[in-house]
Amino acid sequence: MKRTMYISLLFTGCLLGIMLAFQFRTNTGYVQQERPDVLTQELKQLEQDYQVLLAEATDLEKSLKQIEQGGNQTYEVLQNELQKVRYAAGLEPVTGTGVVVVMDNMSTTKRTDYDPSLFSITYEDILRLVNELRAAGASAISINGERLVSTSEIRNAGKFIDVNLTRLTTPYEIKAVGDPKKLASSLQITGGLVDTLKEWSILVTVTTKEEVTVPAYTTPLDFDYAKPLKEGKDQ
Amino acid sequence: MWLGTVLASLGLFLGLFIGLKVPIIIPEGYAPYLGLAVLAALDSVFGGIRAGMEDHFDNKVFLSGFFSNTLLAAGLAYIGERLGVPLSTAAVVAFGVRLFQNLAIIRRHLLKK
Repeated sequence: MKRTMYISLLFTGCLLGIMLAFQFRTNTGYVQQERPDVLTQELKQLEQDYQVLLAEATDLEKSLKQIEQGGNQTYEVLQNELQKVRYAAGLEPVTGTGVVVVMDNMSTTKRTDYDPSLFSITYEDILRLVNELRAAGASAISINGERLVSTSEIRNAGKFIDVNLTRLTTPYEIKAVGDPKKLASSLQITGGLVDTLKEWSILVTVTTKEEVTVPAYTTPLDFDYAKPLKEGKDQ
Repeated sequence: MWLGTVLASLGLFLGLFIGLKVPIIIPEGYAPYLGLAVLAALDSVFGGIRAGMEDHFDNKVFLSGFFSNTLLAAGLAYIGERLGVPLSTAAVVAFGVRLFQNLAIIRRHLLKK
């Protein structure tokens, strides 16, 4: 008899527990029992809160827009600056008015009486020309399609001339973007570079053009040895 | 009789655990009936414990009382709602009074030991 009592107590306790749990779970909201006036008050309060939050949201949106505009402006400024720097560094192909200078050796048949290598074009001739063009305000120069940048070299490599570590052969076509009149006159001035070169039996033609296209410097830049100096630190 | 109370509360916790784990939700409209049923069941269980303490526990009486009280309480509340008479109040009062009586008697038995 005792055992059945325990079993039924356990069983009924279990049932009671299940019912209690269900009741707890269903009876979470007391909305039904609450008075309408309390609810209306709550509704009013919530509406007020909603208005306040709405105003706050519009405020925040405004400031977000301002910030976005500011960001766009800085972005544009930076983009412009970057573009300028890229032009200056020669990483962008440029086009504009300018001159095209073609330098070539006189054909060997015309100068049989001396060693032809004696009066062929050397790197110094090209250097002088480039120097002259730069002095006349050329903003971009290329030699046979090799853009001259701050790290470019012009040097002899045997019978050839190297620019940007690329071997160039005659005829050398030097393109320069700038004021065409200024560039041409700086070269063709009497007693100037063109005259001198002609005296050395080098064929030079200078043509001014409405549109000269100078290609970009394509070799990847690396600054393995150069590191930016930290601001405010000397040496 | 200690074992009886312990077992009853053990069953209670087991049931609570099961009830909280089972993914069934009773519609909110049935909440008042279930509440009354819970009250009746609580009263029955306390009555059973008391009977056990007084050594005249009858299993048939206990189990039939448990189920009939539970169903009667819920049914009474339902009928009261249909009739527009708050019969559930009667059930609450009746079961509430009995609950407190049973609790008081159980307390005395526990204190007498």
